[in-house]
Amino acid sequence: MRSLALNVRLFFQGALLSYVALFRWLRPATYLASKVLMPLSQILFFSFLGMYATGQANASFYVIGNAIQLAAVSGIFGVTMSIGGDRWEGTLPYLFGTPANRMAMFVGRAFFHVLDGMVGVVLALMWGVLLLGLDLSHANPAALGLTILVATFSTSGMGLLLGCLSLITLNVMFINNTVYFSLLVFSGANLPLSTLPSWMQTVSQALPLTRTIAAARQIIAGASLAEVAPLLRAEVLIGVVYILLGYFLFRWFERQAKRRGTLDIF
Amino acid sequence: MIKLSVYARAILASAEMSFRETMTDGFVVFGIFVQPLIIAILGLWMLRDRGGDYAIFVVVGSGLTGLWSSLLFISGNSITHERWTGTLETLVGVPTPLGVIVFGKNLANVLQSMGSMAVSYLLASLLFGYPLTVAEPLLFGISLILTVIAFVSFGLVIAPIFVMNPDVQRWQNGLEFPVYILAGFLFPIALLPGWTTPISYLLAPYWAAQALHLTSSGGGTQTQILVSWGMLLFFSMIYIFVSRVLFRVMLRKARIEATLGLE
Repeated sequence: MRSLALNVRLFFQGALLSYVALFRWLRPATYLASKVLMPLSQILFFSFLGMYATGQANASFYVIGNAIQLAAVSGIFGVTMSIGGDRWEGTLPYLFGTPANRMAMFVGRAFFHVLDGMVGVVLALMWGVLLLGLDLSHANPAALGLTILVATFSTSGMGLLLGCLSLITLNVMFINNTVYFSLLVFSGANLPLSTLPSWMQTVSQALPLTRTIAAARQIIAGASLAEVAPLLRAEVLIGVVYILLGYFLFRWFERQAKRRGTLDIF
Repeated sequence: MIKLSVYARAILASAEMSFRETMTDGFVVFGIFVQPLIIAILGLWMLRDRGGDYAIFVVVGSGLTGLWSSLLFISGNSITHERWTGTLETLVGVPTPLGVIVFGKNLANVLQSMGSMAVSYLLASLLFGYPLTVAEPLLFGISLILTVIAFVSFGLVIAPIFVMNPDVQRWQNGLEFPVYILAGFLFPIALLPGWTTPISYLLAPYWAAQALHLTSSGGGTQTQILVSWGMLLFFSMIYIFVSRVLFRVMLRKARIEATLGLE
């Protein structure tokens, strides 16, 4: 019981500290640029491009796709920087020197980014309503909220895996950016998946966001939670798989680094 | 005359150094090759129903996205980067003006960013099989040269602004897509609300996009092309004038406050 309480405390303290540490150096201006202006302009760019390609009637397809895809801003960039931050700031040896539960420590790094990502997606949808005429009147708010939560959860799972790469490579921003932009193609945010070649459709099925973007489009068109539940369940499973892969990589890195004495050597 | 040749040598040396340094940087490789490539794939796919003629528009537009992103993130940080590596004091101390050295760095950056267009061209041509032809090759070449001059000059303005105003630099992440939109890289600005049009006219990237699209896709009148060229030259001159003032203010401020190497 005492061990559980300690792990819960570790989870929340680690989550809060890593999040505060990240945005202490980023400062509000950077936060606003990354979480308000960038998402808004990304939605506008791809929505206008989409409307130019297929007509204004399809605006909601692009607005919803890109709004949900923005979960990856927190999920991928935020989580990766929280994990990699320990190495860049030199706190990794101290963390690996403690007997703390690694799973609580590792998954805690993503906790606030899941919440932060949800705020980002809601803001993005609001931009869609205000500027591009997105109609949410048929949407079930609870189902949409759950879909957003699942989207941020699964992208954070991927972020945890990518964050581990920041412990073994210096070029993690290259990987992060490539994955983030690839999601714009593979997740169906901007292209109907049925128009993609079969190999790309197969890749899409293994990625986060593919199912939550499809679910969000259905919910906003009036579908019930029960109708999209299979999509959400599958996406949760994908998120869990990414978290477990990340966790095993994290533990492997810890063992290798301790064995070779390369904990904070780049 | 001797001074000019010394400056030219400094520009070339600085450009070569910058080129060697940045081409191994994953972030630069992403900005110049990967991101424009993904935008080109999206553009070609999304606009495929508009027919093969549209491919050259996407190639040029996605190339311009790479040019702008690298200008914003690499040229914008050209002075700050020297600060991080501890070489800024040395560069300021040498007899060659800092602006000349930064000009060389920006030149290398803008020229290597042209790789964005080449990559998009190869993608559209080899992977998508579009027959790509530039409608007015000579005029396109001239447009490209004027674009390079305008972008290099623009880089000379934003670098000292970012150094003197860290708060402005913090908006860097948010300035990428707005220019893609307002400059009409991949869709006409006529789609945007009318009040944004004057903002577009104040951006050199808009005139670069106009000149390059009109000469590559065809369909533009001679007057339209000449106006775009004129605006590119006009903005280049303004940027160079403004950058001279900004460099002077920046160095004076840094010397008075003794903050040259400090952020």
